[in-house]
Amino acid sequence: MIDSLYVAWRYLRYHWGRSLTLVVCVTLIAVLPLALELLLDESKRQLLARAETTPLVVGAKGSSLDLVMNSLYFGDSVPEPISMAAVDRIADTDLALPVPLYVRFKARGLPIVGTNLDYFDFRGLKIQAGRNLALLGECVLGARAAEALGLGPGDALLSSPETLFDLAGVYPMKMRVVGVLAPTQSADDLAVFVDLKTAWVIQGLVHGHQDLGAVTDPTLVMERTDGNLTATAKLVQYTEITPENINSFHLHGSPADYPITAILALPHDKKSAALLRGRYVAAGDQGEPQQILVPADVIAGLLASIFRIKSVLDAVILVVGTATVLALVLVLALSLRLRAGEIATIFKLGCSRATIARLLGAEIAIILAAAALLTGLLLAVVGHHDEALVRALFIR
Amino acid sequence: MQPIKRPLPRAAIAALILLLSAAAVSAQDRLRIYTVNYPLAYFAERIAGDLAEVTFPAPGDVDPAFWMPDAETIAAYQAADLILLNGADYEKWTGKVSLPRSRLVDTSRAFRDAYIREAGGITHSHGPGGEHDHGGLAFTTWLDLSQAAQQAEAIAQALIRKSPDAKEEIERNLHALRDDLLALDERIAEITRTDPGRPLLASHPVYQYLARRYGLNLISVMWEPEELPNEGQWNALEGILEDHPARWMLWEGEPGQATATRLRALGIDSLVLDPCANRPAKGDFLTVMTENARNLDRIFGKGAGER
Amino acid sequence: MIDIRALEFAYPDSGFRLDIPSFALRDGEKLAVIGPSGSGKTTLLNLVSGIIRPQRGEVRVAGTDIGTLSDAHRRAFRIRNVGFVFQDFELLDYLDVLDNILHPYRITGALRLDRTVRARARQLADDLGVGDKLARHPSHLSQGERQRVAICRALLPQPRLLLADEATGNLDPHNKGRILDLLFNSVDARGATLLAVTHDHELLARFERVVDFADFQSDFRAEVRADARADIRADSPADSERPPAT
Repeated sequence: MIDSLYVAWRYLRYHWGRSLTLVVCVTLIAVLPLALELLLDESKRQLLARAETTPLVVGAKGSSLDLVMNSLYFGDSVPEPISMAAVDRIADTDLALPVPLYVRFKARGLPIVGTNLDYFDFRGLKIQAGRNLALLGECVLGARAAEALGLGPGDALLSSPETLFDLAGVYPMKMRVVGVLAPTQSADDLAVFVDLKTAWVIQGLVHGHQDLGAVTDPTLVMERTDGNLTATAKLVQYTEITPENINSFHLHGSPADYPITAILALPHDKKSAALLRGRYVAAGDQGEPQQILVPADVIAGLLASIFRIKSVLDAVILVVGTATVLALVLVLALSLRLRAGEIATIFKLGCSRATIARLLGAEIAIILAAAALLTGLLLAVVGHHDEALVRALFIR
Repeated sequence: MQPIKRPLPRAAIAALILLLSAAAVSAQDRLRIYTVNYPLAYFAERIAGDLAEVTFPAPGDVDPAFWMPDAETIAAYQAADLILLNGADYEKWTGKVSLPRSRLVDTSRAFRDAYIREAGGITHSHGPGGEHDHGGLAFTTWLDLSQAAQQAEAIAQALIRKSPDAKEEIERNLHALRDDLLALDERIAEITRTDPGRPLLASHPVYQYLARRYGLNLISVMWEPEELPNEGQWNALEGILEDHPARWMLWEGEPGQATATRLRALGIDSLVLDPCANRPAKGDFLTVMTENARNLDRIFGKGAGER
Repeated sequence: MIDIRALEFAYPDSGFRLDIPSFALRDGEKLAVIGPSGSGKTTLLNLVSGIIRPQRGEVRVAGTDIGTLSDAHRRAFRIRNVGFVFQDFELLDYLDVLDNILHPYRITGALRLDRTVRARARQLADDLGVGDKLARHPSHLSQGERQRVAICRALLPQPRLLLADEATGNLDPHNKGRILDLLFNSVDARGATLLAVTHDHELLARFERVVDFADFQSDFRAEVRADARADIRADSPADSERPPAT
């Protein structure tokens, strides 16, 4: 057996290009489905973990997936906004603590999450550098966001304009980075956290400008009545909140009308959760424009769909794999034919058919062993870094 | 043979240490309550007693409604177990600061439908049909002592939620406070009932709730205690006096000598009615309100304005 | 060394037939077999080495009737007793010279590869002038060098019979003579017998005996140049082109 392996090894080494190609092909056929399995399992775990720790989400009626993805994973699809009145509504029931979220804007490609300090308590987010939010205009970065942007406490970050050519649209606002969070291996790592009010500043609902009562430039005032001054569009609104201008920031209209994208409802206990859900469902029959979701259920539904897709993927991989195996068999058969002369020679020298089979079998065995080793190594690497890979590839 | 050591003294010492540390720990386990003005701090102190450590950090010379705390103070608020807000947009600084909603208590939420909207004042808007301001809210809600009692109740409820075990004690304290407040409320009502339509002036619009509750015929101007009003303001005052012949002007603090003198010339006496938004140098909320009641008595009681 | 009697052989799928009434080779003899292609020379080698079995008759090599052996025994017999040298050298390009020489020991259990064998291989290589090229691959050797390596391989198991099938066919004239000399010397040195098939008439003089397959048709007797007798009759399509001998 040793001799067969030795001879097989020499053959493979001499034709190293062909041998390497074969090893790579076999490895790929083996690694792809297994690695995919590993990563999908990890994705499932990560998605569910986040969903399972979030008891209830309230938002506008519509795509439940969009709502959950936006509020839990800060996905790009922004659901219809609801108003802050919805927060008061939940608070008044005394069944749950409402944590509002306004996830709409972006800063350099990363989602800006408008919320309040309760969110940090709820998710157990700890400050690693700097401090938490205190004043309007400040932001706190997730661990990976800080890394990606290369920013830390004391730096400035501009929000991205919502639409390039919308003159009445959302303008960039300069935020002050005051803190960086410790890593959590979740979507929070890649977010820019601001106070809800700061998000409204970005939108322009809360703004600051010079005191109109003290204005001397007549082109800034459109109309002056006894009780009201109407400003023209020339009036510049501050794009940055500083200690000097912070007191001029104000909102127009009632805070209860201001928009948010979702509310995380944290019920006091299971009974409260059921009661709260019941209220929305009952109201739903009367044209209630909001919905209440259990994220774990929505994600489980999503995963079921994904895993249906995975079954199709598996079938595809199986077919491709079979085709590859057939191709490999063909390659082997052809190379066998090419080696007919060699086989005839050793047969003449006195080699039995069994030994010839063993020699060729040894070659296949070495290739398979090398492929198995490589597969094992790759799977070990994938398994070791599955969390990071899933975050990089599937879940941002 | 060695004598057998007695284990008892050791156990006793251990138990003592345990007891002391438990006591120390429970002392440190007091709730931390932060408030946005002094009246709420007073109510919280009366209701919570030993259960909580109450802090109202604004300096005495700053009107808490227009105060902006520094970063350190903001952090202290963020770390508190309860943050008592007055409501009616009193604490404007909270609109520019991040506070954990779960620990905020809006003490006047129960009577939010009864907020008084300020008339007059200049609002602004942007563009025709653009966003516009409504007038602001009057925010010295506690000057209506029946409302003050409701605010105290809100504080008590929040405390009970945090420390359900101490419910009895909290309710006991609340009732005592309510009794004091409502007694004073009744007393002031009695005083002002004697002459309901008597015209009065206020140097600054801070007595809206007081006026409403106790039926005061009160018109406010926008003067500052330290500043001498300008001629325009004096003229405006005289204009008001034509239809509203007031003999008394209410001040938050002692008016300047020159102003008082000139008012006296117009037949108007000055009287201090301290809203008590800040912690008083002497006494407490009740003593200040009681003093206010006594001052009102000067107006409505004997010596009722005829000179 | 070789004793063939009343041999009849035919390939199952072609019309080729070989009938050998008798054929013998003495120990230590060097016999050349010549004849046109298709006359059965290679078939003779295959029969003698036990690669194929005759339908009838006896093939004795070194006293053993190899036709009666089982497949496994025939193979074992072949690898121990018969050495092959091919026209196309038939070295394995993926093995270096040393591994090529040692190869018979790696493809059968009948030979054991140990230190003495390795030493012998090195000695053989030195003797045949390729001792300094042990690490090279056949693609980096000249024709002559390759044939020497092939000869080393054939000689390593110390066979008693050496079969050379057009051993000098692919060599230039200069190398032909040298290789033949090498073959002869090696055979002599080891007391082995040489049966060489060749096209090359120039080399025939060196052999002790020559057998010509061309002279044999279905009903003609063999003509031999030397004194030994051999009757070999061949029926093959090629024969129909030759004019009948008289």
